[in-house]
Amino acid sequence: MDQFTQTAWLIPLFPFAAFLLLTALGRSYRRAGVMIGSVGALAALVMSLLVFFERLDPDAVDYSEGFNWITLGDYTLKIGFEVTNLNSLMLIIVTLVSFLVNVYSAGYMKKDERITVFYGYVALFTFAMLGLVLSDNMLVFYIFWELVGVCSFLLVGFWYAKPAARAAAKKAFIVTRIGDAGLLLGIIVLFWYMPGHALDFSSIHNVFSEGQSGAITMSITTSIALLLFMGVIGKSGQFPLHVWLPDAMEGPTPISALIHAATMVAAGVFLLARTFDIFEASAAAMHTVAYFGGFTAIFAAMVALAQNDIKRILAYSTISQLGYMVMAMGLGSMTGGIFHLFTHAFFKALLFLAAGSVIHAVHTQNIHEMGGLGSKMRITAWTFGIGALSLSGIPPFSGFWSKDAILASALDENPFLFVVGLAAAFCTALYMSRLFFIVFMGKSSVRQPREVRESSKSMTIPLLVLAVLSVGAGFVETPWNGWLGSWLTGGGEEVHASAAAIIASIAVGVLGIYVGWLMYGKGSIERGAAAAKAPWLANLLERQYYINEFYDLVIVRSVRGIGKSLAAFDEYVIGGAVRFFGFATVTGGRMLTRMNNGQTQVFGLTAVIGLLVIIAVIVGRRFW
Amino acid sequence: MNEFMPLTWNDTLYLAPELILAAMFLILIVTDLILPLRTNRALIGWLSLGGLLLSLGFVVWRMIDMNPSGASAEEAAKAGQAISLLGASYRVDDFGNLLKIIFLIGTSLIVLLGLGSTQKDDAVADKAEFYYLLLPAAAGAMIMASSGNLVTLYIGLELLSITTYVLVGLRKRSSLSAEAAFKYVVTGGIASAFVLFGMSYLYGVTGSVSLADFPAALPQAFTDYKALVYVGFFFLIAGFGIKIAAAPFHAWAPDVYQGAPTPISAFLAVIAKGAALAAVFRFLYSSAFFLSGGPGKQAGDDVFFALLVIAAAAMLVGTISALRQKQAKRLLALSGVANAGYLLVPIAISVTIIHSNNFSEFAYYLVAYLLMNVGAFAVVTVIARAAGHEELKGFSGLYYRAPWTAAAMLIFILSLSGLPVTAGFFGKLFILLGAASVKAYWLVAIMAVSTVISYYFYFGIIRQMFMRSNSDEEDEVRVPAVTGVVIWICAAATVALGVLPGPLMKGIDTVFSIQADLFVR
Repeated sequence: MDQFTQTAWLIPLFPFAAFLLLTALGRSYRRAGVMIGSVGALAALVMSLLVFFERLDPDAVDYSEGFNWITLGDYTLKIGFEVTNLNSLMLIIVTLVSFLVNVYSAGYMKKDERITVFYGYVALFTFAMLGLVLSDNMLVFYIFWELVGVCSFLLVGFWYAKPAARAAAKKAFIVTRIGDAGLLLGIIVLFWYMPGHALDFSSIHNVFSEGQSGAITMSITTSIALLLFMGVIGKSGQFPLHVWLPDAMEGPTPISALIHAATMVAAGVFLLARTFDIFEASAAAMHTVAYFGGFTAIFAAMVALAQNDIKRILAYSTISQLGYMVMAMGLGSMTGGIFHLFTHAFFKALLFLAAGSVIHAVHTQNIHEMGGLGSKMRITAWTFGIGALSLSGIPPFSGFWSKDAILASALDENPFLFVVGLAAAFCTALYMSRLFFIVFMGKSSVRQPREVRESSKSMTIPLLVLAVLSVGAGFVETPWNGWLGSWLTGGGEEVHASAAAIIASIAVGVLGIYVGWLMYGKGSIERGAAAAKAPWLANLLERQYYINEFYDLVIVRSVRGIGKSLAAFDEYVIGGAVRFFGFATVTGGRMLTRMNNGQTQVFGLTAVIGLLVIIAVIVGRRFW
Repeated sequence: MNEFMPLTWNDTLYLAPELILAAMFLILIVTDLILPLRTNRALIGWLSLGGLLLSLGFVVWRMIDMNPSGASAEEAAKAGQAISLLGASYRVDDFGNLLKIIFLIGTSLIVLLGLGSTQKDDAVADKAEFYYLLLPAAAGAMIMASSGNLVTLYIGLELLSITTYVLVGLRKRSSLSAEAAFKYVVTGGIASAFVLFGMSYLYGVTGSVSLADFPAALPQAFTDYKALVYVGFFFLIAGFGIKIAAAPFHAWAPDVYQGAPTPISAFLAVIAKGAALAAVFRFLYSSAFFLSGGPGKQAGDDVFFALLVIAAAAMLVGTISALRQKQAKRLLALSGVANAGYLLVPIAISVTIIHSNNFSEFAYYLVAYLLMNVGAFAVVTVIARAAGHEELKGFSGLYYRAPWTAAAMLIFILSLSGLPVTAGFFGKLFILLGAASVKAYWLVAIMAVSTVISYYFYFGIIRQMFMRSNSDEEDEVRVPAVTGVVIWICAAATVALGVLPGPLMKGIDTVFSIQADLFVR
């Protein structure tokens, strides 16, 4: 039986109802607001689990249901939802992290005046994200895709009194819009060329999975895939549109965990998985995706080495890990990509929430102003350590298994990207150990403003839950157990497993941590040694390759220049025309008002004249 | 086939909706005379509403009966045959039924609106008349939609017109109302004269007043008397143009709407206009349309083109004259002129092979127009009562005084200006797509331009409501319960049709068939 699957459309409605209720109640119901938000997320989580368990049945078939929204001529626009194994996995991720973030925020945002507004936004985001996950066609997907973008904008700029938050919100919105423009264009091209203008995912699957059956040519397929990939680049923070994600850390930390680590930024990877058939049909598109992902992975990992803000380090780490997922997709390993998305959601949410716990305690984000926190905040330190080990790819933590799945397929498909992936893994282990040792070990370099205490229960319990998941979630897919892969893809994908990849990946992970320990734990390597030898490199990394400056100089300034000249054109040419038409219309209106002076005889005359004019026009047309 | 058969008892069942209204009208006149003066005339209002709803029930029943669900195609075709009475002078078919449903719902809403506003209007001396005169007016509109020959059409028109002349003048203690009634009588007389003159020419050249004879007789008549056929058509169009209030025949509308009791303005704007449009629709598609096939192609095209010109003129003149309007009811009258233009478009672009759902476009927009217009007039009654005048400045700061009413008005204005998510958006969109599908791009452009111009005055009202806090006027806005019901029925339906346009559009398409329901044979 699949009665829960059939009612899966209810899942997004719980958080939506919570959002409506929170908005209607207003700001005064602080405690009730927290409860409403959490209960909404919990209900969605329970429903998602029920759906998920139904999907575990090996005979479960994909279910989709919808209704016709608008019919225009022959074309019918449908709205509907679809439940597949991939969707149900995403449902679990989104609702679980959302619920834990709801619980966590009860502590983290306790003193914020607008806490109910915050919960309302979070509920709206959860609704939009679940809608995105469940949507059965590209158009509905796109609507929710934009809606999560709007929620991200609202939440990044939640503390809008801070100029930096305002700027970051604007930047996040505009930069992702650049990618979205590509995505929309891709959807339009897809709409144009699909047989019957179908935009639903199952038709896309049918058209593209049979190889090139002549319906759509190779070059069109490639351009559709690349346009869709633009959306992925924007949303999932891939190079070169990654610049918004580190700035988005201006938002409250629970938001960074929910939106900018676990769920929304993974939407791009999810899009790749949903439209995987289009990409698989074009080798060129697959290569592009793989190389963009690989480059982003190593590039962002290196930048993370030289950052001093705890959240920015984690943000660059997120970019780098998303690069891994995208690379896996490009290498044809959908299982690897989704598996990493799954484990990453837990350990990265854990790292962000633990970081939030630290920030909450010491009121700074600069890691050099922390130090020695391990003894004072035991739960935070332990759980952060678990997350860090998982991210660094140390067995048996979950990150190891998913990273290994990606590296193994890279070794088979593209040895160059395998090396890139290993290098990124080394950097990952190094920056995480740097972060851990500086923050939790050693002594504080700056005097703490007040006694540091462990955070409250509502904040530590989510940490513990996520820590357990970070340890255990990896066992759904191991080199000797391909359950996730066969469940996700129906057994159609070959399993990559190689001892070489496992050994290499463990080796670089351990090496990275060891070097990190030597530098930042034991101190036997001078911290500044590398920076002293290559100050230009350290500077380059610290300034994030000067990409923001580059964009400012080349794009923002030139666009502003064009904008100014356009504004002049607008002011004098278009504005002049508008003023003229406005003047003409108003004068016309005045004239008509004067003609219509309310005298009945005048009316009779105009009616007769009007009739004559019409006859003259019609008949005159014949002689003209 | 069209021999005259007197009515039998069975036939009265087909006429039940109209007969109920007539009977109710007579009963209520007598009741009004018998009832003591002290008795509140709201009773008559509720009884009128009951009569309208009973009539509506019969129309719906007839329509369901004519469109059996689950029947085989053959049975359905048989049941769907139009019922022709009295020598084809009266037709009961889905064209008429659908429009009757719209008219009856509209009239019911107006009776409700009257219960909310006119009941407290001291200028209206005879409150009972207000209610029971709406019944023959509605019956007139229904007869126009059902008529099968020119005489019945004219009788329906006059029944509707004469009752509305009285209704417009009901605010006896207001000189504006008397002036409006006088103007309406005179212009109505001009319209009737035009219509009759045109009809007499058509009778002269074809020898018949029956719509069923026109398809065969007109092409022959055209070859014989070219100019006379033209005169007949143009005068008929001009006469109905006055009733529709399409430019350049619209000048009476602002004065009359302003003077009439507000619910009656809404009645004129929606039902009277809709009935005249229905008459034009039915008449043209059993006459001029059949000219197009033969030697009279030129004349047929010219008639439809004339209608297009009138539609375009109405859209432009209506919106442009509304720009400087400061009085709420005059503004709505001019907006009604523009909307008459939009409603004429699906009639005027003619049925072709590539585009044949003219009627569903027309009916959809008529429903949308009914909802947003009655709703807007309902809000005007509330504002006028609170502010003591009907100027637009009465809306200022409405959001701060009555946020829910302001929200409803916002919905109506969005719908009037054709923005999503409202019924007006899809109504305009369907018409626009229809015009585009027959490549009438100049008309599409005019629709677009007039819509954009209309934003100026529609958004002016929004600005008044939301951005002007009124410091000097502290009038309390009281919404009578029945008026509130009317406002929220209209608002909810406007939004519902804006979110889900499919069911209604599809429903009209399934019920209505061009062959059986439009062409009179």
